[in-house]
Amino acid sequence: MSLLELKGIYKIYGDLHALDDVNMKVEKGEWLSIMGPSGSGKSTMMNIIGCMDKPSKGEVLLDGVDISKESPKNLTAIRRDKIGLIFQQFHLVNYLTAIENVMLAQYYHSVPDEKEALEALDRVGLADRAKHLPSQLSGGEQQRVCVARALINYPEIILADEPTGNLDDANEKIVVDLFHKLHNEGTTLIVVTHDPEVAEVAQRTVWLRNGKLHKETVNENFTGEIRFDKN
Amino acid sequence: MFFRMISGTLFRQWKKMLMIAFTIALGASLATAMLSVMLDVGDKVNQELKTYGANITVMPKESSVLSSLYEVEGESSAGAYLREDELGKIKTIFWAFNIVDYAPFVNTTAKLDDGTEVTAVGTWFNHHMELPTGEQLDAGVTSMRNWWSIVDGKWLDEQSSDSGHVAMVGAALAQKLGIKSGDRLHISGKEQDADLEVVGIFDAGGDEDDKIFMPVDTAQAIGDLEGKIDSIEVSAITTPENELAIKAAKDPKSLTIAQYETWYCTAYASSICYQIQEVITDSVASPVRQVADSEGAILEKTELLMTLITILSLIGAALGICNLVTASVMERSAEIGLMKAIGAQNAAVSGLVLTEIIITAIIGGTVGFFAGWGFAQIIGHTVFGSAISMRPVVIPIVVVLVLIVTLLGCIPAIRLLLKLRPAEVLHGK
Amino acid sequence: MKKRQMYFRMITASLLRRRSRMIVALLSVAIGAAILSGLVTIYIDVPRQMGAQFRNYGANMIFTPADGSFTSEDITNGASYIDSKDIVGVTPYRYESVRIHELPVMAAGTDMEQVKLTSPYWSVEGGYPTGSGQLLLGASLAEKFRLGVGDEVTVSYTPEFKDRGSDETVLDNTADMKVEGILETGGPEEDYVYLRMSDLEELTGISGKTDLAELSISAKSDKLKEYAEKISSSVPAVSARLVKRVTESESTVLTKLQALVLLVTVIVLALTMICVATTMTAVVAERRREIGLRKAIGASNSGIIKEFMGEGMLLGAVGGIIGSVLGFVFAQQISINVFSSSISFMPLLVPITILVSVAVTGISCLLPVRSATQIEPALVLKGE
Repeated sequence: MSLLELKGIYKIYGDLHALDDVNMKVEKGEWLSIMGPSGSGKSTMMNIIGCMDKPSKGEVLLDGVDISKESPKNLTAIRRDKIGLIFQQFHLVNYLTAIENVMLAQYYHSVPDEKEALEALDRVGLADRAKHLPSQLSGGEQQRVCVARALINYPEIILADEPTGNLDDANEKIVVDLFHKLHNEGTTLIVVTHDPEVAEVAQRTVWLRNGKLHKETVNENFTGEIRFDKN
Repeated sequence: MFFRMISGTLFRQWKKMLMIAFTIALGASLATAMLSVMLDVGDKVNQELKTYGANITVMPKESSVLSSLYEVEGESSAGAYLREDELGKIKTIFWAFNIVDYAPFVNTTAKLDDGTEVTAVGTWFNHHMELPTGEQLDAGVTSMRNWWSIVDGKWLDEQSSDSGHVAMVGAALAQKLGIKSGDRLHISGKEQDADLEVVGIFDAGGDEDDKIFMPVDTAQAIGDLEGKIDSIEVSAITTPENELAIKAAKDPKSLTIAQYETWYCTAYASSICYQIQEVITDSVASPVRQVADSEGAILEKTELLMTLITILSLIGAALGICNLVTASVMERSAEIGLMKAIGAQNAAVSGLVLTEIIITAIIGGTVGFFAGWGFAQIIGHTVFGSAISMRPVVIPIVVVLVLIVTLLGCIPAIRLLLKLRPAEVLHGK
Repeated sequence: MKKRQMYFRMITASLLRRRSRMIVALLSVAIGAAILSGLVTIYIDVPRQMGAQFRNYGANMIFTPADGSFTSEDITNGASYIDSKDIVGVTPYRYESVRIHELPVMAAGTDMEQVKLTSPYWSVEGGYPTGSGQLLLGASLAEKFRLGVGDEVTVSYTPEFKDRGSDETVLDNTADMKVEGILETGGPEEDYVYLRMSDLEELTGISGKTDLAELSISAKSDKLKEYAEKISSSVPAVSARLVKRVTESESTVLTKLQALVLLVTVIVLALTMICVATTMTAVVAERRREIGLRKAIGASNSGIIKEFMGEGMLLGAVGGIIGSVLGFVFAQQISINVFSSSISFMPLLVPITILVSVAVTGISCLLPVRSATQIEPALVLKGE
């Protein structure tokens, strides 16, 4: 059984079909990129997978459970337990330190554990910046805190929306690097992006156009190796 | 385009603008209400203090009327009197408007049938006067002795037809002689006798309880004092004394012309006294210190108290408005960042924000002004049973206050906006 | 780490690290709380403070002998029924007919120190008598006898026990006295001459006799009535009466003044509370994006409401404490400036102020937070 399966998903706003009969499967441990121009339905799809929106029609099976019919309250619980989110604009709580931002996710999930949070920061190479506020961190560092926050609760899927959209090349490499590391550790990754460089390092890329799955490519060169090692 | 942008903000962000306008309205209404009450509280409390009775007494010059203090008998030395026909002139002096009430008194001794000697006092009860100004006034002890409680019967009504043969008797005397309301008294004076019907027994809680009060004509007839008055009590609204008033009270001639004008045209007890002396022949008008001094002190305290409360509430309102303006302008940092990104100069951005806020402030301030006026009237009617008069000076104060406070509230926000770098804002940092 | 610890860590971080914004909100809450506690203190204290001002009007109770005359012991006895902290002054008076320049004049013997308390409105040119042989002369007498401050005058008294009708030459008691002050009141007091009680007793040769006592008591008219009844019934020699003119008027004016302060307090408070509420609303509205983020990473609506309420209430509590202190300082300043006396600290007002501030900030956070939680996180996070 696939970890995630979309069956005949529609999202309709008035006359606009943001998603139009999308069918897709994601296997456990897979690294998938979703690509497409603006308005192609990437964000809508990301919101539906991230349990932040519901399709107008169709089934979304996460771990075999159809989440498309769940109440907002249950969706919150599912999102908390199974999904780690990474945003283009980072969205860190600006008055909490790096480690506190990570612990925030633990807090809503179960119980905050400072040691574990520090380990997560260590994994993204920011153990020494744990006590810094977001305003004291560079963009790349902020995004790495987001990655740490996303993975702290061992989610089934890490869902990243344009994770490198606000980053320069150097930081982009660091983040992509982290994705490799996570992938090697067995995490399922779904990266929404319109940056071909980021997309092409994934195992598989799906292309969206006008709300439909346009094409799908598999990265034949994918080795799972870490290409840029900063550490 | 500028106006289109402004009206765009005002209409599309009406919820936020409404909140700002609402807060400004609150502040403005608070300021209006407090200022109006503060400026009028002196007059209002002064009116209330009139319940203490007269604050000016007018006596004949060169007389030493030894009236009695408490139960102790004094001796009345005859000779000097005031003229009854001059009483109306009191309402013609410069400060006539401030004279709220007055009553003449004529004292005589008379004997009752059983030989008891009593003091008969002739006075006005509710004497009706039509003034040359067209104003009407009911003056007399009915209002000036409002602390009297009527034990039996009712107040003497001078305006009723048989007012020539009625009297009110003090509670102590009534108790001593067993007089009830409705009884008829025969009293004999120096020249004439009179048959009087007792319409009421009063308890004054003082030496008046041993006296018989009757209309002026009746007492004059008994005492053979036609046209003569012993004293006049005047209840006037006065301004608390200051150094000028004290200096003038000693000798008005010691003032310079400018000082004299100021003094004469201010409602000091001493200047009103001086003006009464000018119209009543051979009279000495003096402030009753017990009343005049206390009134001054209480008035001053009340006004000071209200002023301080007003200042405090204005500070409160000002901070409230400042806070909200700051918070709501800062909230719009993204929009303003965008404007800067597409090339708006700092001056243009600040101008836009200021214009919007000031339009909002004017709307809120106008609404608040009328609301505050309403609050002031509620206070006036609830507490004093009369409307608070609106001083024109309140309007400019409120306008200036609202504008200053609103602009002050904008300063931190605008400073922050000017420092904004468009890129940062737009990237959602 | 416990969940609760993290909760407190979060809300304190929010308050401490977002310093400039929070100071704005805190200031607003503190000012609101200060106005609350300050005005309520003043409202409660006004009758007492203003009551003291009304004592300027002088005596509001008079002791007269039930029959004939009474002694100073009777007065002390009667006054002992009155709460000693309410008594402003007790002045005994004894009236005798004396002669100055062979003209009959009413003389009053009294306690000059107490007179200043029970008749504060007396205006004395010169000074009050402080030693024997000094007297205070009413202004109209002074004019009649052409006497001024510092003049010597002979006061004579005809003892009553002598039979006036007999042919025997009556020898008067005389005393040479100095006019220490001229009394101006605008009332009948100007026709009297005031002597120290001991001087009058010496002049007349009779001591221990008192005709009247004036009392100035700071109490409301109901309480005064109670006192008067109790004294009249408990001390047979004394009949206590209220000076109606003073007591009745005082209670009307005081009632109105207190009503005025109450109404002003209520209006100012209501407006301040609304101001606090709008500020808190604006402060919360600013953080919609953060609320969206919290929802996205798995916070439930109730969890978010709990956090923001906690923050708001903590803010309310801190603001309430600061406000209580400020309010007391402010009320104290007003009291010192207006009434030149300090006010008593009311401990009960502190918890009330804090509770009200917590409630107001809590409620004013609740509404905007609740509406913010209804927003889909995806919308907010997209940067709207």
